[in-house]
Amino acid sequence: MGCSSSLPDRSPGRVGGLNPDNGGDSDAKNLRVKLVLLGDSGVGKSCIVLRFVRGQFDPTSKVTVGASFLSQTIALQDSTTVKFEIWDTAGQERYAALAPLYYRGAAVGVIVYDITNPDSFHKAQYWVKELQKHGSPDIVLALVGNKADLQEKREVSVQAGIEYAEKNGMFFIETSAKTADNINQLFEEIAKRLPRPSPS
Amino acid sequence: MYGTQSKRDLTLEMQSQIPILRPSIHSRRANITVKFQDLYGFTVEGNVDDANIINEVREKVREQGRVWWSLEASKGANWYLQTDVSSALKASLKFSVLVNAITLKKLIRKGIPPVLRPKVWFSLSGAAKKKSTVPDSYYNDLIIAVEGKVTPATKQIDHDLPRTFPGHPWLDTPEGHASLRRVLVGYSFRDSDVGYCQGLNYVAALLLLVMKTEEDAFWMLAVLLENVLVNDCYSSNLSGCHVEQRVFKDLLKKKCPSINAHLESLEFDVSLVATEWFLCLFSKSLPSETTLRVWDVLFYEGAKVLFNVALAIFKMKEEELLMAHHVGDVINVIQNTTHHLFDPDDLLTVAFDKFDKLGFMTSTNISKERKKQEPAVMAELDQRLRRLNSSNLEVDS
Repeated sequence: MGCSSSLPDRSPGRVGGLNPDNGGDSDAKNLRVKLVLLGDSGVGKSCIVLRFVRGQFDPTSKVTVGASFLSQTIALQDSTTVKFEIWDTAGQERYAALAPLYYRGAAVGVIVYDITNPDSFHKAQYWVKELQKHGSPDIVLALVGNKADLQEKREVSVQAGIEYAEKNGMFFIETSAKTADNINQLFEEIAKRLPRPSPS
Repeated sequence: MYGTQSKRDLTLEMQSQIPILRPSIHSRRANITVKFQDLYGFTVEGNVDDANIINEVREKVREQGRVWWSLEASKGANWYLQTDVSSALKASLKFSVLVNAITLKKLIRKGIPPVLRPKVWFSLSGAAKKKSTVPDSYYNDLIIAVEGKVTPATKQIDHDLPRTFPGHPWLDTPEGHASLRRVLVGYSFRDSDVGYCQGLNYVAALLLLVMKTEEDAFWMLAVLLENVLVNDCYSSNLSGCHVEQRVFKDLLKKKCPSINAHLESLEFDVSLVATEWFLCLFSKSLPSETTLRVWDVLFYEGAKVLFNVALAIFKMKEEELLMAHHVGDVINVIQNTTHHLFDPDDLLTVAFDKFDKLGFMTSTNISKERKKQEPAVMAELDQRLRRLNSSNLEVDS
């Protein structure tokens, strides 16, 4: 309908979620960031997102099929804002081949495992490798051990998480979507680590 | 019946043009969120207008019921169960059979009354035929045979039961969970290539609500996966689903070129939203009666119906989509649309009148398109598998 020609100037060809010269999309003060959550089924990806976006914990959030999308803006102390556009992906193995659809162009990859489930920690390592190889070159990666409230059932040590993250140059944090512990911190820390577009 | 719809649109349009100092009764009412239950027990959150639409739809459903009863009176009981279009055409039997087949197609597109759904679906989908080829005790034997067995599929099913339509007055009870579990676990053993795929939980749950009996829901699930939908939609690499996505992208390009061009410029891949539609057969996105109206046509006309509906959702919001600046805006437009499509006719009119008249959307053409896409999908999945295996080795080492 020819409406597209009257739209504000934009650069459709950008690759990363954060391109310094993408004209009007993000600027130095207000970033718009694509974030993808990956990890085994049932580790709590959707719960983390719902806690962050809506401030709620719903132990029976719906099963994710394909992926679901939510966004949330946070204000940082240096008076910049970051709008996270979050792709929360389905965890079942057979959905893995769809993952590139969601992580393509993502500026941030959050890889989640369940501290009570060693298999999910192992699975997290596949996702790290996949994003290192096929994600955006400057992608910020975070490793998240969720369900930290279940200390008595812990099977993945904090040390294991820290070591793996350090070795791979990732940010590491343990969270509990149930108690809200470290959820905001996770996103704030990610925001701090984002490469800033140079002010022009 | 579309008069009310256009009137409502007009009011909204006028409101946006006239500066309003004080919110009108209309807009104040529209802002009040009300919670109510729909025909199938799902809690719906919407504004007063949405509630009114749901009431109008209830009335239309009753009206449609009267149409079916009066046809039954003139054509005889169960006339609709004896109209197999393909066999009627092949044998070019009696003229009346053909007439009935044409009447039925139109009738089904206008909706099957909820009380008749179990019977009509079971017969017209081919589920009855499928069931008749095995001993009567098949389902019960299967359920007994698989009891207590633990597989990756059963583990995933157990994990997903409370996360399938949480809060539903029947599905989310111990009885509802047990019933859904038996259907899904039973099917996972019937077809171990499929096993269990997330998405089927929603489909089977809705089938249970409609079919009333667990066994009939099981056979509907079987006919759906084995006959109605394309092969391998849900199997371990979802290859069928990948094929459908490619076909859909091609159709969008042909049928809605300006939307397609705009979305491409935003780097918005339609699979971002359409994957869930095709795997849940819209049950996770559309209101229940609207979903079931799609399924009415799906079980009679086949899997190509999913393309009609998916295209219609985009087409209905063409103007808004062309105004979207970001991927997030596109998603919001689409999600707002699907969640509020309480009047099934709004969607189905676009889905069938518009795209059918343009031709091309026949089952034969769609099959050809699928064949064309298959090699590319297989190559892509194969490449990914090899890539994964190589990184697998690195993790282990």
